[in-house]
Amino acid sequence: MEALKLDGVVKQFGEKTAVNRISLSVEPGEIYGLLGANGAGKTTTMRMVLGLIYPDDGKILYSGKAFNSELQQIMGYLPEERGLYPKVKVSDQIIYLARLRGMSSSDADKSLRYWLDRFDVPDYYNKKVEELSKGNQQKMGFIAAVVHKPRLLILDEAFSGLDPVNVELLKDTVRELRDQGTSILFSTHRMEHVEELCRHITIMDRSNTVVQGDIREIKKGYPREEVLLRTSSEVSGLETLPGVTGVQRQERGYLLTISEIAAAQRILQQAVGQSEVEHFEIKEPTLNQIFIKVVGGESNE
Amino acid sequence: MNKMGTIIGFTFKNKVKTKSFMITTLVLVLLLSIGMNIPYLIKVFQGDDEASAGIHVAVVAAEGSRASELLKNYASGVTTEGGATVDQYTSAEDSALKTSLDEGTLDGYIQLGAESETGLPPVTFYSPDGDMDAEVQTFLQLGLQQANAQLIAGDKLTPEQIGAMNAPVQLDTKQISTDGTAVTDEEKDEAPIINYVIVYALLMMFFMSIMMTGNMIAAEVTSEKSSRIMEILITSASPLAQMFGKVIGIFLIGMLQIAIIAAAVAANLMLPHNASILTDFDLDLGQLNVNLLIYGLVLYVLGYFLYALIYAAIGSIVSRTEDLGQAVMPITMLGLVTFYIPLFSISNADTLVVKVASYIPFTSPLSMLLRIGVGDVAFWEILVSLLILLVSIFVFGWLAAKIYRTGVLMYGKRPTIKEIRKAMKAYKI
Repeated sequence: MEALKLDGVVKQFGEKTAVNRISLSVEPGEIYGLLGANGAGKTTTMRMVLGLIYPDDGKILYSGKAFNSELQQIMGYLPEERGLYPKVKVSDQIIYLARLRGMSSSDADKSLRYWLDRFDVPDYYNKKVEELSKGNQQKMGFIAAVVHKPRLLILDEAFSGLDPVNVELLKDTVRELRDQGTSILFSTHRMEHVEELCRHITIMDRSNTVVQGDIREIKKGYPREEVLLRTSSEVSGLETLPGVTGVQRQERGYLLTISEIAAAQRILQQAVGQSEVEHFEIKEPTLNQIFIKVVGGESNE
Repeated sequence: MNKMGTIIGFTFKNKVKTKSFMITTLVLVLLLSIGMNIPYLIKVFQGDDEASAGIHVAVVAAEGSRASELLKNYASGVTTEGGATVDQYTSAEDSALKTSLDEGTLDGYIQLGAESETGLPPVTFYSPDGDMDAEVQTFLQLGLQQANAQLIAGDKLTPEQIGAMNAPVQLDTKQISTDGTAVTDEEKDEAPIINYVIVYALLMMFFMSIMMTGNMIAAEVTSEKSSRIMEILITSASPLAQMFGKVIGIFLIGMLQIAIIAAAVAANLMLPHNASILTDFDLDLGQLNVNLLIYGLVLYVLGYFLYALIYAAIGSIVSRTEDLGQAVMPITMLGLVTFYIPLFSISNADTLVVKVASYIPFTSPLSMLLRIGVGDVAFWEILVSLLILLVSIFVFGWLAAKIYRTGVLMYGKRPTIKEIRKAMKAYKI
């Protein structure tokens, strides 16, 4: 059974529809990506999942059950604006939050120490949050979200504002949690993170679901439009081949845009005839391209 | 509820550790201690002068002056510390008089003119620094007055009769009952002075405590909201548990503060040099009305909760700490009214204003306290007032919880009442 299932969920703020009929389901042990531009309705959707606000229409089910107060113990949440008490010691407030989520003090303490060691910052135990850098505050926020071993974790822009090393650290952690069976609803506008972590995604644009499904399936649905060619010497006449719409010289080869897949074969033949081909690739569209096409395209209309 | 306990503990622990709490409490204790010891301190600083205490004046008058004799007689009867002496000199130029003045063994001298049947002529006091001590003034005033009376009366009156003439007339008051006869002492029970003192002290303490803790709660809620930790809290525990947890946690802070202050007052009263304060002010701890203190505690607790809930609700509506001051203004005003009605009526507790105020939920805790302490109040009146207070706590508690649940998730500008009402309908508590 799905760990989390949204069915036709609608949320309106006054006249404005913030979320329009979103449906999605997250399996146990899955990282589900929720993508969208700023103001697309991601955070509103997450808040509805958390029970902070109620949907105007539609259903949200947790392992088949409606929202209930027992969920407080199994949900973890990292809000976009890191929510921690600035003037309270890290240990005091994280243990407090864990206890509110139904953990005993000693278990919470153990778990907190585990996570601080894991992030290699055991000395933060006695520090106040305001003494930490922004990136480290975010790590503490992440610990606060996972300290009670939630089964459903909601991460709103978890990686924003972190340096690459810490992004990798958090990514590994998120993967590890997934492998332990945690279902994770994950929002971002950084596509490369989604491609690495998620199997299923939903792209939202101005309250509507525009693209949804398995990332590989989605990519198949979009034409392959780029060919990467690397040869030992120059190749001429590529521009004149039918179906080739653009040629871009790169450091050690060419990046060509094509209008039909058959053009790729013509490019290869042309290249083989003139030089030695070192690398030939028909690139599949990146999520970034799909996103820009779907979201950016519409807003250009 | 387990979670509420956790919240109470966390709130209490964090507030006790704050510098603002420690400093405020310390300052209050210090001020109180200084205030209570001022009479003693004054004594200590003036101690040197009073060691050589007593009134020492000289009279410059002709040999055999009767007024001078009479003043000497009066001085021998003075029983204040150090006693009083009057030396007679015939001339202000006398060298012995001059040395005494220079050495400071004399406070000063008066010059007496010739006596007549119509009494003493005007008297002038000469002193090295040109002014007269209050003690010396009283002594001279009374002494000369008696001498004057004796001079005028001549031998017709004895000194005892003169003394009796100068004694102040005793003026007592008694209430007339409706049938025109005087009420007997048992019926008219005047509240003992200690009740006034206690009511006054409780009024001050409760007002300060309620305002301070109320603002603490509002600030706490707003800061949780602005740091967005509220979103995590709301998903962890019900808003109702959070609000009451916070209100109770800070209530304990208020109680702790009151206990510390009460202990400081008690400790100061115990100091040996302060033992006389109570008796000096004609206060008897034996008269201490335990009922009054118990009622005071009950009223304080109920009043605290009523105000605290409103403060929590206000705190939940405001998004930024900077806007908080403006938002709590109305409730602060209400608090001031609550405080000043009984304060201004302390000498006359049975006015209509106080009576009305003692039933209105927000003003009733302090006004009722005044009436119980120093006014005339029937038991059923107290009961009704408490009942109204209790019911309104439930009503406002429910309302505050609704506002809290709605308010904590509203960001941006301060919502209008209409917006709040609309949003409130959407949430179950």
